[in-house]
Amino acid sequence: MKFKTKLYIGFGFLFGLFIISYLIFMIMMSQINQNTKNAVKNYEMLSLANTIQNELNVFSREARGLLANPPEELKRPFKESRDQALHNVNIAIGSLEKLDSREQSQHLIQELKTMSRTLGEMEKEGDGLIKEGKYAEVTQLFWYDSLKVREDMVKVASELQAIQKQTVDTELNQSRKTYKLMNQMIFIYMIAGFLAGISMTIWIFRSVTGNLNKVTSVMTKVAFGQSDQLPRIKVTSKDEIGEIAVAFNEMAQALETHTMQEKELKHAAEEHSWLKTKVAEIATMYPGIDSLEILAQLFITKVAPMTGAKYGVFYMKQGNGEETKYQKLAAYAYNDQEAGKDSFCLGEGLVGQCALENRTISLHQVPADYIKIASGLGSASPANVLVIPAEFQGEVLAVIELASFEPFNPLEQMLLQEVMDNIGMNINSILRHMQVEKLLEDSQTLTEELQSQSEELQLQQEELRTVNEQLEEQYENSEQKTRELEKTKSMLEEKAKQLTVSSQYKSEFLANMSHELRTPLNSLLILAQMLAENADGNLTAKQVEYAGTIFSSGNDLLHLINDILDIAKVEAGKMEILFEDVKLSDVKEVVEAQFIPIAREKKIQLNVQLAPNLPKVIYTDKQRLQQILKNLLSNAFKFTEHGAVSLTIQKVEKEVFSKANEIPYTDIELAFAIKDTGIGIPEEKQDNLFDAFKQADGTISRKYGGTGLGLSISREIAHLLGGFIEVESIEHNGSTFTLYLPNDRQMKQSELSIVEAEVAAGVIEDSESIAIVDPVEFLIQADEIEKQSYGKKALLEGKKILVVDDDMRNIFALTTALESYLVEVLFAENGKEGIAVLQEHPDIDLVLMDIMMPEMDGFEAIRFIRRKEEFLHLPIIALTAKAMKDDRKQCIDAGASDYISKPVNLEQLFSTMQVWLYR
Amino acid sequence: MNSIERHVNHELEAIEIDLLLEGIYRYYGFDFRNYAVPFLNRRIWNRVRAENVSSISGLQEKIFHDPSVMKRLVYDFSINVTEMFRDPSFFFSFRTKIVPLLRDCSAIRIWHAGCSTGEEVYSMAILLHEEGLYEKTRIYATDINENVLKHAQAGEFPLQRMQLYTRNYLAAGGIRSFSEYYTAKNENAIFHPFLMKNVVFAQHNLATDRSFNEFHVIICRNVMIYFNKMLQNRVHHLLHESLSLSGILALGSKEGIKFTSIANSYEEVDSFEKVYRKIK
Ligand SMILES: C[S@@+](CC[C@H](N)C(=O)[O-])C[C@H]1O[C@@H](n2cnc3c(N)ncnc32)[C@H](O)[C@@H]1O
Repeated sequence: MKFKTKLYIGFGFLFGLFIISYLIFMIMMSQINQNTKNAVKNYEMLSLANTIQNELNVFSREARGLLANPPEELKRPFKESRDQALHNVNIAIGSLEKLDSREQSQHLIQELKTMSRTLGEMEKEGDGLIKEGKYAEVTQLFWYDSLKVREDMVKVASELQAIQKQTVDTELNQSRKTYKLMNQMIFIYMIAGFLAGISMTIWIFRSVTGNLNKVTSVMTKVAFGQSDQLPRIKVTSKDEIGEIAVAFNEMAQALETHTMQEKELKHAAEEHSWLKTKVAEIATMYPGIDSLEILAQLFITKVAPMTGAKYGVFYMKQGNGEETKYQKLAAYAYNDQEAGKDSFCLGEGLVGQCALENRTISLHQVPADYIKIASGLGSASPANVLVIPAEFQGEVLAVIELASFEPFNPLEQMLLQEVMDNIGMNINSILRHMQVEKLLEDSQTLTEELQSQSEELQLQQEELRTVNEQLEEQYENSEQKTRELEKTKSMLEEKAKQLTVSSQYKSEFLANMSHELRTPLNSLLILAQMLAENADGNLTAKQVEYAGTIFSSGNDLLHLINDILDIAKVEAGKMEILFEDVKLSDVKEVVEAQFIPIAREKKIQLNVQLAPNLPKVIYTDKQRLQQILKNLLSNAFKFTEHGAVSLTIQKVEKEVFSKANEIPYTDIELAFAIKDTGIGIPEEKQDNLFDAFKQADGTISRKYGGTGLGLSISREIAHLLGGFIEVESIEHNGSTFTLYLPNDRQMKQSELSIVEAEVAAGVIEDSESIAIVDPVEFLIQADEIEKQSYGKKALLEGKKILVVDDDMRNIFALTTALESYLVEVLFAENGKEGIAVLQEHPDIDLVLMDIMMPEMDGFEAIRFIRRKEEFLHLPIIALTAKAMKDDRKQCIDAGASDYISKPVNLEQLFSTMQVWLYR
Repeated sequence: MNSIERHVNHELEAIEIDLLLEGIYRYYGFDFRNYAVPFLNRRIWNRVRAENVSSISGLQEKIFHDPSVMKRLVYDFSINVTEMFRDPSFFFSFRTKIVPLLRDCSAIRIWHAGCSTGEEVYSMAILLHEEGLYEKTRIYATDINENVLKHAQAGEFPLQRMQLYTRNYLAAGGIRSFSEYYTAKNENAIFHPFLMKNVVFAQHNLATDRSFNEFHVIICRNVMIYFNKMLQNRVHHLLHESLSLSGILALGSKEGIKFTSIANSYEEVDSFEKVYRKIK
């Protein structure tokens, strides 16, 4: 029977017992109820009968009251009470009639009813009599008729009462009996129900706990530590416990299999972790190893014991291609005497074969003399040998050979497989590392080599630069020469200028009229001479005098024209020079012949002296030499009133400097000094004495005559002859003009004339542009160039500098300082203005920039300027406040080239400026 | 020229150079025998061309019989290229990493080996001055070439290079105005003499001379690049010997200590700037 059913039965039985007892109780209770109800009814009837008796008494009393003839006003309440009492009697009778249905009682009640009605009528009659005042009759009626009725009624009511009383008694008895019965019944039921309940419970308990105990006793036997073998429950019942037992058995089964699996897994995991730790152990030894020998040694001494091998050798690949060999690099428990070879070729022996095939070779039951594993106590042959390759990307880099007494188990083989893979990789990386190391070292050597080369290169550049600088210096020198030349040129230019002033038309005039002028002049002169001779004698003395004047003036004019032509020729480079041998004695003769008459005439002495060491013959242009001497001598005579004029010809030192221009004339040999005792020349006039169309004094020409061109021509000719003329003079004491001439057979006329021609041509070509340049300025410029190579001035002079500062006093101070170095200073009072000025004057060489300014500060201005391509390299020197360290960094970040702190130290400022203006 | 011939020529050239250097050492006492071969090659051939001879042997004759040629060759071997705050990042690194280490020393000794014309020394003096260490520092600046030492003592550097130097100074973390240290005069910037107050210039040959003091910092930049491996190692031992424990060694930007025999005695302070510290 199922446990459920048992429970149902047990509880159903108890439940049924309970319902039955309940029903019995209910019945009994209703019985008692009924009895009680009857009792109550009888009691009511009893009290009604009582009421009737009582009310009758009240009635009698009131009626008697009325009979006593009370005062009128009291009659009424008597009457009412009497009627009320009667009425109550009637009601009680009515109620009784309804309640008591028993025949005996009904009969009595009817009697009562009739009597009460009679009583009522009698009263009415009495009342009527009272009203009529017939008290006697009333008394009669009351005391006799009515009394009788009333007594009867009481009698009947008593009877009724008795009946009733008896009924109540029987009823009470009845219910007492019923109660007793009920008590008994309940007691019996209780006993029976209790017994039944207990037996039921015992039954159920026993059947349930019995099975449960069986199950739990098996279950408590289960020890969870060893869940691989669990007890089973014998299934006896088919109830729930039975099912539990079955379920338990199944669970035990499942648990057992699970435990089994778990054990297997754990074992596998252990093996795996062993493998991993071993692999890791080997892997961790790799880092830091940088030589293959160490690697091999460490590897084999680790791996052999791990795999239980008692002998191991590590062979490393050496060489490539044909020469590939596997060389023994390290060993474990290596036994020298009995071992085979130290190296194997590809395919040679097991090692070679293994390398060739890239496959593990495993031997069992090797012959006894294959290898011996030796110890201090003896030796034995191992039974198992493994030869394993270590490869990297298909290339066998190494082979190891292991020998053991026991066969290698799969786990060990797996380990070997894995570590061999690893070592392949590591060998490769060590090889690569070694290569890289080698390369790095090479590259380091190369880098150093490169650095030394680059320094050498720098040095060579430096040397080149110095050579360059020397060249430049030489060039500068030649420049200087050129400049000197230019100076000469500029002097010529000045003449040219005078020429352009005075002889723009002169050259035309000369060109056009030289010949045409001279022809008529010549005829004029001849005619004048003829007239002056007065051959016919028909002219008055006065007329002859006039003719003489015409002749002499015409002669002067002719001289002038000749001079002008000469100078024009010289300046145009057209003067022809003809070098030849000239006898100095001839020169002397010619001079004397020409000037002795004049000397006599002026009563002045003339001395011509030739120094004794003079050469007899010199090489020059005779004609021109005579022309110069003639010019100088005629000048001397012209300005000398008393005293003497002398010409001295001497030999001089090789090197003589011309005063006028400091060009050394290296080959001067002769000096022709013409000395007079005339009026002399004031010092300040000596300089432009030789300039064409200038004389010491304008008035002189008037007083002494002459064109004044003589000296210019003489000097030019002297140049053409390779010499020059110098003058020394003391005013009022006389002058000495000295012509210096070379005596050089190499002298070529063409050479000289070409130089001169070029200069002259330059003069003419440049004449226009030169007219624009103020000569004074030009000279100054030349001067500047000269100075520029030296010093502060040189670097600063002429530079254009922009000062940006909001403090006018600073600007003023800087400007004053800078201008003393001939620097052109522009200024602006803030960044914005500064930029505007800079854009207007892009040729500004350097900017001095204050930082703290209104409108736009220095940083911003610098950044703005640097954004422009053309100002990328413009030197900008920032002026920072001394305390502001950050400012400086900010300046440089903004793009300033340098900074100096305020208040500005001028020396420092100029130094900085020189650095940044250096080109 | 075929390859064999060239090979033979190379061999011959090597012999000629060896003989020349050996001769120079024995006769003049200059030891260039362990300078880097390619460098010697270039320099010697340079001189061969400049002296208008056709071979190294030809040069050899001139060198042994005309001391002025020897002088010129010595100058050829002495490459004095330098600049102020050369490799500004080095000086920056020195300022930020080394200076803090030096602050605690009561007296600092610095050796500039191969100082050339002194730009490096002035740079260091300026740096130390700015860091407030100059007063307790003594700088020993040495070079093999006496001429450059004279130059260095004068403290005049061409104005032409000053723009570069100013930029270097700024890049090296200079904290004042560079112009505070010099006055421009003609073509030169003359550095203020106070910078040389604690500097000693002396002639010293790294290849042959011995250590002469113990230093806290040794700066030997771009000198050993002219030496061969052997001499480099020799000089490294000399420097190591002259350096106090935890002293600083600074090499040129293209040099390194890694492949020298003394590499293990140093740890890197700034690998990029080639600054090392002696650890044993
Ligand atoms: C390229 S400079 C280096 C200058 C500076 N240290 C720098 O890095 O800017 C090399 C210097 O090393 C010097 N030098 C060459 N061989 C030397 C030696 N054996 N002993 C000392 N100095 C040597 C040279 O004279 C030259 O001045």
